[in-house]
Amino acid sequence: MPNNFMKVLPKEYAIGLIESIKGKNDNEIKKITDNFVDLLIKNNDLSKSENISRIFSSLWNKENKIVESEIITAKKIDGDSLASLKNFLTNKTGAKKITINERIDKNIIGGTIIKYNDKVLDKSLKTKIKKLSDSIKS
Amino acid sequence: MSNTKDFIIEQIKSRISEYKADTAVKNTGKVISISDGIVKISGLSAVAMSEMVEFKNKVKTVYGVILNLEEDNVGAIVLGDYIDIKEGDEVTASGKILAVPVGDSMIGRVINPIGEEIDGKGKIETDKYYPIEKIAPGVIKRQSVNEPVQTGIKAIDAMIPIGRGQRELIIGDRQIGKTAIAIDAIINQKGQNMKCIYVAIGQKKSKVASIVSKLEKYGAMDYTTIILASASDPASLLYIAPYSGTALAEYFLDKGEDVLIVYDDLSKHAVAYREISLLLRRPPGREAYPGDVFYLHSRLLERACRLNKDCGGGSITALPIIETQSGDVSAYIPTNVISITDGQIYLEPDMFYKGNRPAVNAGLSVSRVGSSAQIKAMKKVAGKMRLEAAQYRELAAFAQFGSDLDQETKVKLERGKRLNEILKQDQYSPISVAGQVLVFYALINGFIDDVAVENVVMFEKGLLKYAEMAGKKVLEEIVESEFNEDLENKMKALISDYKTTL
Repeated sequence: MPNNFMKVLPKEYAIGLIESIKGKNDNEIKKITDNFVDLLIKNNDLSKSENISRIFSSLWNKENKIVESEIITAKKIDGDSLASLKNFLTNKTGAKKITINERIDKNIIGGTIIKYNDKVLDKSLKTKIKKLSDSIKS
Repeated sequence: MSNTKDFIIEQIKSRISEYKADTAVKNTGKVISISDGIVKISGLSAVAMSEMVEFKNKVKTVYGVILNLEEDNVGAIVLGDYIDIKEGDEVTASGKILAVPVGDSMIGRVINPIGEEIDGKGKIETDKYYPIEKIAPGVIKRQSVNEPVQTGIKAIDAMIPIGRGQRELIIGDRQIGKTAIAIDAIINQKGQNMKCIYVAIGQKKSKVASIVSKLEKYGAMDYTTIILASASDPASLLYIAPYSGTALAEYFLDKGEDVLIVYDDLSKHAVAYREISLLLRRPPGREAYPGDVFYLHSRLLERACRLNKDCGGGSITALPIIETQSGDVSAYIPTNVISITDGQIYLEPDMFYKGNRPAVNAGLSVSRVGSSAQIKAMKKVAGKMRLEAAQYRELAAFAQFGSDLDQETKVKLERGKRLNEILKQDQYSPISVAGQVLVFYALINGFIDDVAVENVVMFEKGLLKYAEMAGKKVLEEIVESEFNEDLENKMKALISDYKTTL
């Protein structure tokens, strides 16, 4: 129960929501979310909803071992490579599910940049060339 | 011509073959907010305390140091310009604890706290890095102080002697010669097998420029490094400056050398740390300083040490400087640092304005360990002198009221007046130990009693000059041999000879 003299933080809302929908079926979840929105209105906290949904999705991912990743390539990536990349990320993070956002960026010339959680694996040609030129210069 | 072309191509080829692409997984985060040099970062889940992080933007790479680890964000300070860092910028962890480049090529240079040159004499080539924070050497590695640091200042070498590896605080109000004492001590280290580091924290650049030119004039830059975090630098640089200076000192220490390091001044350092702490929202305590301000200085000064022979036998002597506000030594920072150090040199405004310069107050100044490092002859004469000085102080206060004094008191007062004159010394004119011993010996044995008070300074200068010409042997003996009757007779003869020439 939120009290009257302490504001509820977005994180606390998100945790509460996660806890309350655990092990519930679809119908029950719908009811809970309706109640949740009512609570936000009652507490005058609707402006926090964007923050809450962001934290909620990261908590949800953690809870269900979902890893979001972003793969940047110079050209469109083919199915086989994508599958092996997925495999690689699953091994690396121990996640149950991997979601991949593909992005094409001509600037990196070749190779890939893989981002997952807060880690970055930079295998792009652009970075390699830059590092090589730095090492020759020094 | 073709030769050089081939050579260049060969060089490039070898460089390319040497090059190994390292593509390790990097820990990254995003800037949530930046204000007053304090950055809040999300992500960076695997970052360590006081690890270096890189802020990448179009202009150049700026480094930061992690100071706060919280549940869902980390707080960092930016070392350098933070104007180009924007919200949402990418931050990568470097995996390295904050370290500064060190090396012999730093000697004679003016550098900033992260080891970059700022004197315009070109890039400094170094290949070693030392961590800024290091645990001080333990009990096993240490040894008690047994070698003196000759500051060349009579009042200090005689009454408040400093040993190699000691921490001696210089404390006093603004503008009464705290820096002057430190600079004189550095100048006098010429030929004494000592490396010097002067760390300027929050000083005016003009003041540092004049110090550099003075040190150059007296040839002291041959063994001195100046680390400057000026008043216009961000608080983060002021905060790391003394630690970075100590890192350089430890490089020389590890080579078994003796180092003298001056922190000028630690009150400004504490203020810079207070600024950072308050911006990081750490709770303020007394005088708004954070709770760990004592640890801030104790861990720094604990790194001053004298190592034993098995550990290289080097030493770091620290001369921290504290500026008091109108003589208030019982403020928070002064009491802290007084309790950490092995003694203090207290400079008094009253004495300074009366013309007793250096304005060292012999009553309030102490050196807890230095006397065991004095040379034998100095120990003998300084003991008697300290007694004379104490008696004079007592009598002078008492004699102000009455004019009828017995003969003995009069003699003591006259002697005291001359002692006061003897302790006066101009800036940038250090005196060798042997010279000091000779002058003090002349005083306590009554050779100066028949010289008028106004002429004492002249007499002393003449005596030193005469000894330099006619008594070189005696001066050498004072430093090297035991203080015995034979030597005493030689000194007496030398002083009497000089008096006949007057």
